[in-house]
Amino acid sequence: MFIEYATQHVPEETVRMILMFPIIVTLIAFIRQVIGIKAFGIYTPSLVTFAFLAMGENGAKYGIAIFASVIAVGLVTRFVLKQFRLLYLPRVALNLSIVAFSILALLILGGNYQRTGLASVSIFPILIMISIVEKFVTAQIKGGSKAALILAIETLGISLAGYYLASWNALEEMVMEYPWIILIVLSFNIFLGKWTGLRLGEYFRFKNILKKVN
Amino acid sequence: MFDFFKKGSQILGMNARNLKYIRPSNRKKAIRIADDKMLSKRILKKGNIPVPKLIAKVSNHEDLDKFDWTKLPNGFALKPNRGFGGEGIVVVYGRKKGRPDAWVKADGTMVTIEDLKNHIRGILDGNFSLSETPDTAFFEERVQLLKLFKPYSYKGIPDIRVIVYNKVPVMAMLRVATKESGGKANLQQGAVGVGIDLATGVTTTAVQGKSKMIEYVPGTRLLLSGLKIPYWKEILELAVKAQEISGLGYLGADVTIDKERGPVFLELNARPGLSIQLANLTGLKKRLERVDGLNIKTIKRGVQVGMNLFGGEIEEELEEISGRRVIGVIEKVKLTGRNKKEVEVEAKIDTGAGLTAIDMDLAEKLGFKKTIEAFNAQNFPKFLEQQEARDLNAKEGKRLLKEIPGLADTAIIHSSHGTSYRPMVRVKFEMDKRIVSAKASIIDRSHLKYPIIIGKRDLGRFLIDVNKK
Repeated sequence: MFIEYATQHVPEETVRMILMFPIIVTLIAFIRQVIGIKAFGIYTPSLVTFAFLAMGENGAKYGIAIFASVIAVGLVTRFVLKQFRLLYLPRVALNLSIVAFSILALLILGGNYQRTGLASVSIFPILIMISIVEKFVTAQIKGGSKAALILAIETLGISLAGYYLASWNALEEMVMEYPWIILIVLSFNIFLGKWTGLRLGEYFRFKNILKKVN
Repeated sequence: MFDFFKKGSQILGMNARNLKYIRPSNRKKAIRIADDKMLSKRILKKGNIPVPKLIAKVSNHEDLDKFDWTKLPNGFALKPNRGFGGEGIVVVYGRKKGRPDAWVKADGTMVTIEDLKNHIRGILDGNFSLSETPDTAFFEERVQLLKLFKPYSYKGIPDIRVIVYNKVPVMAMLRVATKESGGKANLQQGAVGVGIDLATGVTTTAVQGKSKMIEYVPGTRLLLSGLKIPYWKEILELAVKAQEISGLGYLGADVTIDKERGPVFLELNARPGLSIQLANLTGLKKRLERVDGLNIKTIKRGVQVGMNLFGGEIEEELEEISGRRVIGVIEKVKLTGRNKKEVEVEAKIDTGAGLTAIDMDLAEKLGFKKTIEAFNAQNFPKFLEQQEARDLNAKEGKRLLKEIPGLADTAIIHSSHGTSYRPMVRVKFEMDKRIVSAKASIIDRSHLKYPIIIGKRDLGRFLIDVNKK
C-alpha cells in the first residue's frame, strides 16, 4: 500500500534505493561491530555501494576497476607531491585533480579499445569514487600507506558485499512488498549498539592470550 | 568452540571498552583535558605531578613568524597539542655541529628551522589533530634517557603505560621504541610492548606491533623479560593520582623515567589501546571486573590493591619453567621425624650453610631423644681441632651408626665457635608443597630465633627470592 502510494509520486527506482539504504548501512555497522572490519567509516563504504549500484548491471566490474585506479593513482601522486611540502587542502585538491584526469584518461582509453560500457556510466558515481581519494590520503597521513591500503581494500570488500546484498532480487522484492521489515533492521541496530562481545577479528588478534588463559 | 568463546569473555574488546568503560567512566570534561596536552600538563602540574616543562607554544601563523628560535635549547620535543597516537611529534637530541639553525633527530637526520616551521604549519592546520581542526604546536623539555633503558630502546625514550580503573592500577606495560617504529614508543607504529608484573614491577612477556610475540629486543639477544622497573610504586601512585586529578575513570597513564628527575608524567589517555593485553598475555576485562565497585579511599590503598590482585604471575611462570618452587628466606615447614612424629615450625633458608641443622629441643620433639642421649653419652669434646674431628670420625663413625638408634650419619661442623662433631638424623620436611628427605645435624640452637636452618644440600628443588615474605 505504502509502496503503491509512494511510487505514484516518486520514481520506483528511488524508492527502492532509499529503502535499501537502511539495510546497507546496517550491514556496514554489523561488519564493523561484530566482524571487526574497519574500512573508511560508514559514510564512504555506503556511498561507494550506491555508486556501484548506480552503475547498473556491470556495477561490480566497473566499480572495482575505477576504485582500484583511484587508489593506485592516489598512492603514486602522494609520493610525488610529498616532496613539495604542501599544506593539507591544496595537496588534497591536487591529488583529486590528478586522480580525476587519470580516470578521464582511463575512460578515453577504454573507448579507444571499443570498451564503451565504462564511458557510458553516469558521471556522478564516478565523481563519488574520485572523492574517496581524500579519505585515502587522510588515512595515509595518519597511519602510513600500508594501513591506508588495507582500509581501502576493506572498503572495497564491504561495498561489494553491500552491492550484492542490494542487488539480491529476493530481498528487493521482499522490501518492496513488505516495507515494514525495515523496522526490524532498525531495531537490529539497537542490539548492535549495545553489543559488547569480542569482534571476530579480535579473536584472531588476541589468539595468543586465548591459548594461554584457562 | 564454545570454550573458545567463553575464554573470550576475559578479554576486553573494542565494543566493551567503548560501551562499558570509556562511555560511563570518562566524562566529556575529563576527555577534553586528556585531549589537550597543554591543558593536562597545567592541571597535572598544579596537582604536584612532575611533567616535562613547557618551553614555548605556537598558536597561529603570526606566532610562528615572530617566533624566537634562539630560545630553544639543544634538546626538545615538538608536539601537536591535540595529536594522538604519537603522530606529529618531533624530538631532537642536540644541535648539528657547525649549524646554528639545525638540530639532530633521534635517527641522526638533521632538522633545520625551515623544517620545523613547515612541520608547525602542518600542526597549525590540524594535520595531526584528533578532530582535524586547527591546532596549537608546543615545545617541551626532552626527557633524559635512563641508563638502565639504554640497551632496550632504539633511539626514543621508553615509557610505561598504566591502565587505571576505579583508582586501581589494573595492567601495565613498558613501551620501547624500535627501528620499525622510528624511535617512537607507539605500538601501532611497530614499537615493543612488554608486560609488567604489577606486584614487583618486573617485565614479563612482550609483543611487537599489533600481535607478534617476541622474547628479545629486536635485532639483539637481550631478553625483554626480567627487567625491574625502578621507582615502580611511585609510578603506580602517579598514575592513580593523575586519575584523581583528571577525573578520567578509565585512564591510560603514560609515565616515563628521567635520568635526573625520576618518574615524569607524560600523557593522559582517554582511549587507551587494547594491545596491553597481548603484552601481558592476560585479558583486561577480567581484571576490570574484579576492581569494579571496590570502594578505594586513598591512592596508596588503590596501588596496594592493584599490586596484590594483579601481581605474582612471574613467580608462577618461573615455577612452571624451572619446575622449582620460589621460596622466601623464612618459610613454614612441616617436619616428620621418627615414628611419624610431626612438628610445624618456621625455618630459616640458609644458602651459606651446606647442611640442614635442627635444634636439640626440636629433635627431641621429633622423637630423637634417645639418639641425642646416646650420642651425648659418648662424651666427645665439645670443640676440637679439624684434624682431631676427622680422626675421631674415622675411628668412631661406623660404630656410632651401628649402636645409636635413629642416627643417620655424623657430621663435622665448622662454625665461628670452632669445629664440632655432631650427630645427624633423617627428617622429612614439607616446604611449599614439596617434600624433601634430609639429613639434619643436631645442634643447640636455643639461643637462636629459628629452630631449624635449611642448607644448600636440601634446597635443590627451590629458588630463593630474598624479597619474598
